[in-house]
Amino acid sequence: MANGHNPSAGVAERVERRWASVSVLIIVFLAGMAAFAGIHQATMPQATVETIDPTSIHLAGEFIESNLGSAVEGDGTVTVRAIGQQYSFSPPCILVPAETPITFRATSADVVHGFLVQGTNINTMLVPGYVSVQKATFDAPGEHLMPCQEFCSVGHEGMWGKVQVVTKEQFLSQMGDKRRLSCAP
Amino acid sequence: MGDSRKVTTSRDRWTTTSVAITAAIFLVSAVLGFVLLPRWEAGAQVAGIWDSICRAAGLPRQQDPGDVVTADYKTSLVKLATAVSHKRDEEAIGRGATLAQQCAICHGPTGVSRADSPNLAGQYASVVYKQLRDFKDGVRVNAVMTPFALKLSEQDMQDLAAYYAYLPRLPGFHPPESMEVPRIVESGAPLRGIAPCGSCHGNIENKLGSPWLEGQSDLYLKTQLEAFVSGSRQNDISKQMRNVARAMSAEEIEQAAKYYANKPPPYLTQ
Amino acid sequence: MLHNRKLILAHFWLAFAVFALALVLGAWQMYIRSPLSPWISNPEWYYRSLTAHGTVMGYVFPTLVAMGFGYAISEAALQQQLVGGRWAWAGFWLIAVGAVVAMIPVALGQASVLYTFYPPLIGNPFYYIGVVMVVVGSWFWVALMSVNLRIWKRANPAKPVPLAMFANVAGSYLWAWTAVGAALELLLQIIPVALGLRSTIDAGLARVFFSWTLHAIVYFWLMPTYIAYYTIVPRSIGGRIYSDTMARVSFILFLIVAMPIGIHHAFEDPQVGAGFKFIHSAFTALVALPTLLTVFTICASIEIAARLRGGKGAFGWIKALPWRNPIMLAMAFSFIMLGFGGAGGLINMSYQLNTSIHNTQWITGHFHLIFGGAIVIMYFAIAYDFWPHLTGRPLASLHLVRLQLWLWFIGMIITTFPWHWVGILGMPRRMSYFDYSDPALAIDAISVVLSALGGFILVASGILFIVVLVRSHLGAPDKIEEYRFAVAVHPPVRVLAALNSHGIWIALMVGLTVTNYGYPILQLAVRNDTSVPAVYVGER
Repeated sequence: MANGHNPSAGVAERVERRWASVSVLIIVFLAGMAAFAGIHQATMPQATVETIDPTSIHLAGEFIESNLGSAVEGDGTVTVRAIGQQYSFSPPCILVPAETPITFRATSADVVHGFLVQGTNINTMLVPGYVSVQKATFDAPGEHLMPCQEFCSVGHEGMWGKVQVVTKEQFLSQMGDKRRLSCAP
Repeated sequence: MGDSRKVTTSRDRWTTTSVAITAAIFLVSAVLGFVLLPRWEAGAQVAGIWDSICRAAGLPRQQDPGDVVTADYKTSLVKLATAVSHKRDEEAIGRGATLAQQCAICHGPTGVSRADSPNLAGQYASVVYKQLRDFKDGVRVNAVMTPFALKLSEQDMQDLAAYYAYLPRLPGFHPPESMEVPRIVESGAPLRGIAPCGSCHGNIENKLGSPWLEGQSDLYLKTQLEAFVSGSRQNDISKQMRNVARAMSAEEIEQAAKYYANKPPPYLTQ
Repeated sequence: MLHNRKLILAHFWLAFAVFALALVLGAWQMYIRSPLSPWISNPEWYYRSLTAHGTVMGYVFPTLVAMGFGYAISEAALQQQLVGGRWAWAGFWLIAVGAVVAMIPVALGQASVLYTFYPPLIGNPFYYIGVVMVVVGSWFWVALMSVNLRIWKRANPAKPVPLAMFANVAGSYLWAWTAVGAALELLLQIIPVALGLRSTIDAGLARVFFSWTLHAIVYFWLMPTYIAYYTIVPRSIGGRIYSDTMARVSFILFLIVAMPIGIHHAFEDPQVGAGFKFIHSAFTALVALPTLLTVFTICASIEIAARLRGGKGAFGWIKALPWRNPIMLAMAFSFIMLGFGGAGGLINMSYQLNTSIHNTQWITGHFHLIFGGAIVIMYFAIAYDFWPHLTGRPLASLHLVRLQLWLWFIGMIITTFPWHWVGILGMPRRMSYFDYSDPALAIDAISVVLSALGGFILVASGILFIVVLVRSHLGAPDKIEEYRFAVAVHPPVRVLAALNSHGIWIALMVGLTVTNYGYPILQLAVRNDTSVPAVYVGER
């Protein structure tokens, strides 16, 4: 160790070690809180890595233009499918019901995009070649802006979508017998 | 103490302790991250511990799309990234020149139209190819273009694309005295999801497949935007132009079309 | 005794010159996207400026500072003339030329891809080649640091490596290893596509490679600052280092844990498994430890100085500190900004909190506060501390120095605090303009204006910094004392081998890289179905 002659040398060592223990406890506590929050239904990273071919998403598969938008699943949850491309989202306006579990499934058609829903913690990257999945439940009706939050080249500043949250009744009545719904103009 | 010994001796307390602590932290977080957290979060989805570990490790999978809603109209079949070659092919240009003679009747002998059909001179090759392909596949329908396109082979379309791209592009004509750049063109409308037109259409950058608009016919541009609005034109991949056009006001459509229109070439105004 | 003063000065002058240019670009960017400015008519100019600003501030400026400081430490701490001076100059010129090579296509609008590259966006190949040249030039420095230490150790067997050099070399190894990630991304993926040899690229894999570099690079930037905390500040204020051992432990912890935690930059990425995100999150929590240790040790060290000056009481000693001493000022400002920036970092590393602020202006505010604030203000302090010894002339005006530091601190607070706030409000990053007339964005307006004004204050401070350096350099020569580093309260006579060498720690760092990054990289690299078409920027 350091110079062992001087008794005060040991003092510094003891004090530092005590602080190191306190620091470790602080860190373990913070990490524990994060794990606790994660376990108790706070948002978690998507469970599976899914790949997809961006060059053919408009030809076949779940991201063709007629399949985008909000869909009601058999168990009452809603799946929203969207794509990000240079420089807009399709559908540009996403319509969802409040108080309903929602799964966003999205991908990029070309470069890296992302989206976040303002006023919420819905936030994900859209990487071409991979499908992003986010689960969420909106508490109350309202309108939220949904910007692209990643640089996608020169039109990035124009890439803003919207999320409209309506009541369950309004959503179902607007859905009617359609299979996909959005609030695109 | 131990400074004269080599540091990697296994008897060195610091070495063994550090490696042990590091390994322990890794193992604990691995168990939490790969087994326990996925189990607690995903619940029924996860089929056993091995599946949980593979998912958490990020082993890529492809999802079954399930019940896909298909459109009752045709959509473009073109894959733009690989549609046309980026290399200049002199022979293709030559063949295209020959083929283009049949196009001259509307599109002009030099690719500059005398009517309101699009000026093709200098148009991006991927654009020319895509529109021809879409006409041929019946995705875009036009009484005049469809019959022509049906007769073209894949190679013909590549050659025509190469030829028109090789011609000099029409310059923009925007004398400052005559007009300011309309806001919709210069800055788009961000909160309506509209980027500046030039972000895709070449003035700032060209997005593959987006046509060069400068010098096109005012009437043609307006008609196409209105066709996107009504949905009678739907060969824009993933509705990107339909979404843009529908978010534009009628006045903005007029302004944009007027802005990009060229002054008429001298031989038409005399 | 500093022999290679010209070499060190060259590094510092080039660093601060490009810093000043990039600083002006930064302030312009803040102004352009704020409500103070009409919307820019060609957004590409904004993104061009962003690319230049980020590339210079991230890859060129801090690298040159670390290198110059490293050469100075090598000579001053080891009391040994630098071996391999020619290689050092070669490295310097490689960086200078590389920076120019990179900036030319950027200036021409052919590489507006931002310093984070983000394939499948692909720019002119010379941009990337220039960056590679800068990185390779810095690796010359890494080799020289290692060689010079080895020579000294052979000549001084069993003696403790001076703390400054121990930390400096640790930082150089950290940099060398962490740069490998971006190097792999550039050499194996991006440059072949930019040259047209390939036309597709795996964007997800590229992001994983980049994340390898992205976190530890900030610790590479941090090293000079922390070295200054431990080995310059105590001496400058008349104190001692509280614990030499703990200092070494902190630097060792950085060497091990700074690097294999990068995937917390990819928390929201769809191509990385949740298990690895968690592991990186756990190790990221660990990297808070050396900072916590440092804060304690440095506070203890300055308390020693205060009590030696007659300070009394549980907190009263703070008044006794030499507040007119610019190094004291800089360190105090740095600690304040480190506190806030570090707290922000703790938020970023927690997955659940991160989802609210990922890729918002919070992130930009965070790293400007911690890098531009806490770290760079100590770069100024290092420059001020070495300047007389490098130029043979005393500093021109301590008054100007103090003013410059105050302006930097105040400017940084004004710039970054509102910046964090608009991030919480959901303002996205990297947009050249915003529609502040919409009520949803109108709430951002005042904060963005404040940040822009802060940016102008920073420019004033930056100009003042250059003015002080120039005036000092042109002043009248004077006798300058030999350079000294701070000394510990109990200077070590013998140090444990583990705290005197880097081998085992590097092995741990590499081992953790394999466990934490091996599978995420391999799983994508072996696949051929995850590559997507390149999108070439600058095509018109």
